[in-house]
Amino acid sequence: MRSFSLILTALALAHSHLSASTIDAEIFLKKAVTEVAHIADASENSSALASKVRPVLVNVISFELMTRRAVGLGWKKFNEAQIKEATDLFATLIIRTYSSKFTPGEFPEITYKPAILVAPERIEIPTRILYRGSQYEVIYRQEKSVDWRITDVVIEGVSLIATYRTQLDAQFKQGGAPAVIGALKKAVAIRQ
Amino acid sequence: MKNTKLELSVGLFVVLGIAAIIYLTIQVGTGSMLSGDTYLIESRFANAGGLHSGSAVLLAGVTVGRVEGIRMEPSDYSAIVTLRVLSSLRLPTDSMASIKTTGLIGDKFVSLSPGADDTYLKSGSRITLTESAVDLESLIGKMAFGTVEKEKAQQDTK
Repeated sequence: MRSFSLILTALALAHSHLSASTIDAEIFLKKAVTEVAHIADASENSSALASKVRPVLVNVISFELMTRRAVGLGWKKFNEAQIKEATDLFATLIIRTYSSKFTPGEFPEITYKPAILVAPERIEIPTRILYRGSQYEVIYRQEKSVDWRITDVVIEGVSLIATYRTQLDAQFKQGGAPAVIGALKKAVAIRQ
Repeated sequence: MKNTKLELSVGLFVVLGIAAIIYLTIQVGTGSMLSGDTYLIESRFANAGGLHSGSAVLLAGVTVGRVEGIRMEPSDYSAIVTLRVLSSLRLPTDSMASIKTTGLIGDKFVSLSPGADDTYLKSGSRITLTESAVDLESLIGKMAFGTVEKEKAQQDTK
């Protein structure tokens, strides 16, 4: 009887810990998305938005982890300078690409679904976003090291990381780290 | 006496032949013909539509495993796909699993993409970085017919 009570208590504690984690992650995401949406709403154009939103996004998105995962296996061959350069370029590319999707004066209507704990310190928050008359299913993947950070975004079933990994892995196989950095520079230049 | 022995041998040969055909049919059908040792890993997908037991698991276009089974996770209604992959394949923990299609309307398969972590997936580990099957019909539908909200917004502006 005593051991049964202990098991029940342990389960209850584990559940409360999971709930606390998911709530933290949900609050974090809602705050970040609302902040970005307000900046987007107040910005006059997409290039102004990109520069205004960057200081916010570097605190909510783990660009280093994203870049590492987007490059994949080849990342182990990058030296310190190449890691820094690739991360900066990838962050710029992502911010510019998504800034161009926003229209000033349009505010997205976001419905948050319950968070799913997929592994310890890893969470997925499915959302439904209604923006400029169209509806999108977006899943935010978050991980916790010190704080929660967004590590991937899945739009209509297509993962940002998977999309870039296919392209950057091909670049790496052709010419190593310099080829990946070259491809990122080109992509950033196109979106200027 | 000699004829009986011959008939028995022929009969035994036929029975063994049929047994071999049945065995091969089952093995090919379930896709479990992988040479060498294997281990099991799991992948969590929001949608595993079109995938079935025996579907191929590819890495760089090479078959490295098979789908062992698919079950529903009742807590979040996701699909847990069990993959049987070759033991010689060491997959970093941040590897990705995507459900892809051979051609436009071909069979579904799981495509693995190795990550950059220094730790590796062990038997029974789960891949959480996944990309589900893209619902092509629904995407085409959205493109072709738009959405209710869009039409409503257009009506509001008139």
